[in-house]
Amino acid sequence: MLHILGWPALAAAMIALPHGLSFSQQEILVFLTINVLLVTSYRLLTLTGEWSLGHVVMMGVGAYASALYTKELGIFVPLSMLLGAVTAALIALILSFPLLRMKGFYFLIGSFAAGEIIRLLWKRFRNPFGGPKGIKKIDPMPDFDAGFYSFDFFEPVSYYYFALVVVGVSLWIMWRIERSPVGLTFHAVHWQDKLAEAAGVNVRAYRTRAFVIASGFAGLSGTLLAHYIGTINPNSFDVEMMVFVLTWAIVGGTATFYGPIIGCIVLTILNEIVLREMGFEQMRPLIYGLLLICSVLFLPKGLESVVQGLLARRKDSPASGEEKA
Amino acid sequence: MVELLAQTGLNAIYAASYMSLVAVGLVLIFGVMGVINFAHGELYMLGAYAVVGLYADFQMPFIFAIAVGLVFVGVVGLGMERALFRPLRDNPLGGLVASIGFLMVLQALAVMGFGVRMEHVPPVTQEVIVFSEKVRLAVPRLFVIIAAVVLLTALWVFLKKTRFGWALRASAQDPEAAALQGISINQTSRIAMFIGAGLAGIAGALTAPLVSVNPYMGHSVIITAFIVIIVGGIGSLEGAVIAAVAYAFIHTIVTTFWDGVIANIVGLSLMLAVLIVKPTGLFGTADRA
Amino acid sequence: MTVPFLETDGLTMRFGGLTAVDGLSFKVEQGAIHGLIGPNGAGKTTTFNMISGFYKPTAGQVRLRGEVISGLAMYQVARRGVVRTFQHSTLFAELTVLENALVGTHMNFRPSIFAAITGRDAENRRGARVRAEETLDFFGLLGHAHERAGDLPHGHQRALGLAVAMAAHPEVMLLDEPFTGMNPEETNRMMALMFKLRDSGVTILIVEHDMHAIMGLCDRITVMNFGRLLTEGVPREIRAHPDVIEAYLGGGRHVA
Repeated sequence: MLHILGWPALAAAMIALPHGLSFSQQEILVFLTINVLLVTSYRLLTLTGEWSLGHVVMMGVGAYASALYTKELGIFVPLSMLLGAVTAALIALILSFPLLRMKGFYFLIGSFAAGEIIRLLWKRFRNPFGGPKGIKKIDPMPDFDAGFYSFDFFEPVSYYYFALVVVGVSLWIMWRIERSPVGLTFHAVHWQDKLAEAAGVNVRAYRTRAFVIASGFAGLSGTLLAHYIGTINPNSFDVEMMVFVLTWAIVGGTATFYGPIIGCIVLTILNEIVLREMGFEQMRPLIYGLLLICSVLFLPKGLESVVQGLLARRKDSPASGEEKA
Repeated sequence: MVELLAQTGLNAIYAASYMSLVAVGLVLIFGVMGVINFAHGELYMLGAYAVVGLYADFQMPFIFAIAVGLVFVGVVGLGMERALFRPLRDNPLGGLVASIGFLMVLQALAVMGFGVRMEHVPPVTQEVIVFSEKVRLAVPRLFVIIAAVVLLTALWVFLKKTRFGWALRASAQDPEAAALQGISINQTSRIAMFIGAGLAGIAGALTAPLVSVNPYMGHSVIITAFIVIIVGGIGSLEGAVIAAVAYAFIHTIVTTFWDGVIANIVGLSLMLAVLIVKPTGLFGTADRA
Repeated sequence: MTVPFLETDGLTMRFGGLTAVDGLSFKVEQGAIHGLIGPNGAGKTTTFNMISGFYKPTAGQVRLRGEVISGLAMYQVARRGVVRTFQHSTLFAELTVLENALVGTHMNFRPSIFAAITGRDAENRRGARVRAEETLDFFGLLGHAHERAGDLPHGHQRALGLAVAMAAHPEVMLLDEPFTGMNPEETNRMMALMFKLRDSGVTILIVEHDMHAIMGLCDRITVMNFGRLLTEGVPREIRAHPDVIEAYLGGGRHVA
């Protein structure tokens, strides 16, 4: 019953939300939406049990690709966004050949190395990547009139709605994949890869699939970022950003689909509302670091376990079952 | 040309010196405790700031500043062992993540304490050893080289000739068997962590006058350390030293003839190649990862 | 001369200086339950791992209907109809019993990502589910379909392990010490299940220590010792064979 009322209510809330916020808060909302896509795509990768440290660079690949497609080739922005995502997926496919021979810690370090090499290539080669200064004056989304709403992409609100649709569809796709036999196979590959293989699963192919799809969606989030801010540089996609994504995922928990999303939202609110209002913005890395440590030590199952606990308790509550005395 | 190579060689030996201290520390921690300490670069940074604080700001003798640096960072390492790695002993991935968190904490503390600017520590002496017109070695660099040789030799003696060293090696080889023999895991972890962190700290302290000290200096150090220990072999101390020397040479040569960014790309590609072809590295021992 | 169904030919495995299996050759007939026994360290598990694709043999071949399958990856061997089980209760503990069986149907009902997103895979999923439920029913586990696999009692977990393998519709099942740690009642139940499997057309190669089960189940038995073939024959012959008795004398007299 909650489902029937819940989704439209949530949708209405998300549409109404920006109108109650200030301009800078609306901007934060746009970034939050993009980051939700980023962290959920990261979770897809972790479904097969692999933790990459190069995921944020894949976001950058999408961003750089889309920026260059519009700037150099004059491609229509929405199309270049799609192409940017596909480019990220293709780069991931190429990288999967060396990287997916590695597992566990080696994959972690290897993915970091591959990502850092790409980032250094952006830094080193002013042509075509713009070097350390990156790419500026990236084409924005073209304004258009959809009849019921006029999209003026100078306004964060318009971009927020646009991003909301893109992210919403992407999340839906990832959700469908996870819920399908493919998702079941990801789980199997994660926990008992030998058993899965004995049942005829090509484990390597499935890991590759997860890696490529996750990178594609990360790339898509990068294109959203690129055409919103208008400039990108290698530092936008560095280790610090990767640690944020890791923190969202770990603090939120990766056992459920919504875990990393919770982590991202909670930490973003914490950052914007608590830290910025109180003037402690400088302390953001400190707080994140402490949160990461405390999370691993004291709440290893993440915030999602709190949510799951609450949901379970509601099921056992006296309101739903008379005789518990 | 010969002179260029000779100078490059001297630069490389200097770089290899402090890098091998850092790398050996990292390998020691991994070998004995089975955990990857991502905050190792920040321990190096702490050692450098110890010198900034004591020597540059408070005018204490350089030797004193270094000694305090070593002990202070060693103690921070002990704190890490107790608070982070010991509770997470059964969860190496958790330990790794916790060390990432600690990395951010240390960086933030350095920013808050000293600011983002680059600190300049005046070198102890301005003397230079001149081999020829184009080939010279600054004496502070010579200190680093000598200190590295002395410390690594001392470590070697410690590991091969003393009871504690033997206990460390036993724990690294087979923790369960070592425990059954009565070797305390907590004690060996503490010793390994103190020494490992201390080595990183002293490397930072010694090079403080020679590099620009800033809160983010650990970043490049940890990357180089990983490259070195992967190429050298993840459980091997000797491998770490040899790989540090080889890597320093390659990096210095590439930087001289091209530039630093290319050198980093080469280094990372080398690490990637090793991971693909022989993940256990050149001198790798049994897989603890 | 018909091509043998499943055979090993000079199968050899060397680990560094140690030769675990040395020139082992034997044949398994289609539709039989074939036992592979020997004292500890005889090389049974290594042989097993070579047949299933877990190891690549140092020398020699494994052939299924004349086609060489040794050296193939495990999933490729599985796709040719040879599926193995694992010794310890290797299951997807967090998944339900039904989901475990569904993983087993993977080969025959290959999932597709695009179909999954657009919802075109409904028929495929239904087919897989039917097969999974059939298999669970075969093993008497259908009633537990929605329980968490890790919560099942030991004997049921073992049966589930067989079910996952069987859901793949194999021609050959390689069973890795399925009777370990079972009490006599569970053993008899498991033996009945295996006869049922054999009767449904599956060829079974079983590595096992439990002599009672082996003697009761197998049509033919291959005995190994020190990595080599010791002898071969029907249970009656093996039971009385002096070399076999001697090989086991150190480890305890379970023979007969």
